[in-house]
Amino acid sequence: MTHPQPDQSDPQEVYARWLDVWTHIAFAFAAVALALYLTGALAPFVAPQAVVELWRLPVDQYLARAGAPSGWGWLSLVGRGDYLNLAAICLFALISLVCCARVIPAFLRRGERLHAALAVLQVVVLLAAALNLFPGAR
Amino acid sequence: MNESFWIWPLALFALTFVLGIVAVVAGIGGGVLFVPIVASFFPFHLDFVRGAGLLLALSGTLAAGPLLLRAGLANLRLVMPLALAGSVCSLAGAVTGLALPTDLLQTALGATIIAVAVLLWMSSGGENFSEESDALGERLRLQGRFVDHAAGGVRIDWRTRRTALGIASFAGIGFLGGMFGLGAGFANVPALNLLMGAPLKVAVGTSGLIISIINSSAAWVYINRGALLPVIAVPAILGVMLGSRIGARLLPVLPAPVVRRTVIVVLALAGARALLRGLGIWP
Repeated sequence: MTHPQPDQSDPQEVYARWLDVWTHIAFAFAAVALALYLTGALAPFVAPQAVVELWRLPVDQYLARAGAPSGWGWLSLVGRGDYLNLAAICLFALISLVCCARVIPAFLRRGERLHAALAVLQVVVLLAAALNLFPGAR
Repeated sequence: MNESFWIWPLALFALTFVLGIVAVVAGIGGGVLFVPIVASFFPFHLDFVRGAGLLLALSGTLAAGPLLLRAGLANLRLVMPLALAGSVCSLAGAVTGLALPTDLLQTALGATIIAVAVLLWMSSGGENFSEESDALGERLRLQGRFVDHAAGGVRIDWRTRRTALGIASFAGIGFLGGMFGLGAGFANVPALNLLMGAPLKVAVGTSGLIISIINSSAAWVYINRGALLPVIAVPAILGVMLGSRIGARLLPVLPAPVVRRTVIVVLALAGARALLRGLGIWP
């Protein structure tokens, strides 16, 4: 199936392009991280045997028994196989934020200030969620 | 390396590959199918299954997004106001949901999904799209054109109607989705198609992109709470992404009635499962 040549400056095409690139990067990162983790090439913070025993527990009990961090505490463990995979997960959760931020100038260039404002607000909401700033969400 | 450590991630990958195809064609995130299946047949605690389900819905819709946008099946200008209303309210819904009993939530979820399936089944079977814009839809430029290749290359020009009500609906859907811990694609498609007048395929495609944004905000709640176990979430993400790309290629060439029937069957099955679980009949 063929589609007409897209307008490269159209915010819809800009969003599609960035979404495509970042999704491929996140996919490749996740695939490599998972291979390093499952093959044991990169030592995990929580041993596989412990994960199998603890994954039946509620999250609070899992974290307590495994000694695993919550929030952004995992950043210092990113060199471990399991937390390298968590970094890949975070990358997926950041993609929409990046794409929304990228279309702000694309909307402004076309004089679509209302859509640019909506994109700014969306970025603010996603950023606040990532930084754990919403009351009650912690 | 422990043997179970290998088996379950591989089984998750195979399951989510199939779910990825079904999810895109049905216009849902996939979490609504993933969570009950994995919670029933895999050894993981529901906390981690819900976290992975949310990421699965997110990553599947991210993977399908570029193809849907370029084919005109997802409309970014339509996505922006609806996703913003939905993502703010989904965070409020998640906080509310944590304070309610799980059985009550499951029962309400099942009843809601079945009601939506019945509503969709009873509505007219043909294409349902609007060619007249309302004032807000005009101001937000909520309009588009797509070529339905499955209908012999018919060109459809559409505009939204009842736009303010549509945005309010997505705030409500976002709240319910956050409360139930799902992407809520089951409600997105009827709201876009029946209420706002977007053609069914545009509704299905746009629903996917909306889920990718709404679930991004909700995913951070799970990440920050430590409820994402990489050995569960990452194989699920990779499987659903591969499946979703196949689903996105199938969507433009599938006839609208097939997409419609798929949506209804998926909704009815997922709704029945949630209802039986909530009532304690099939825990």
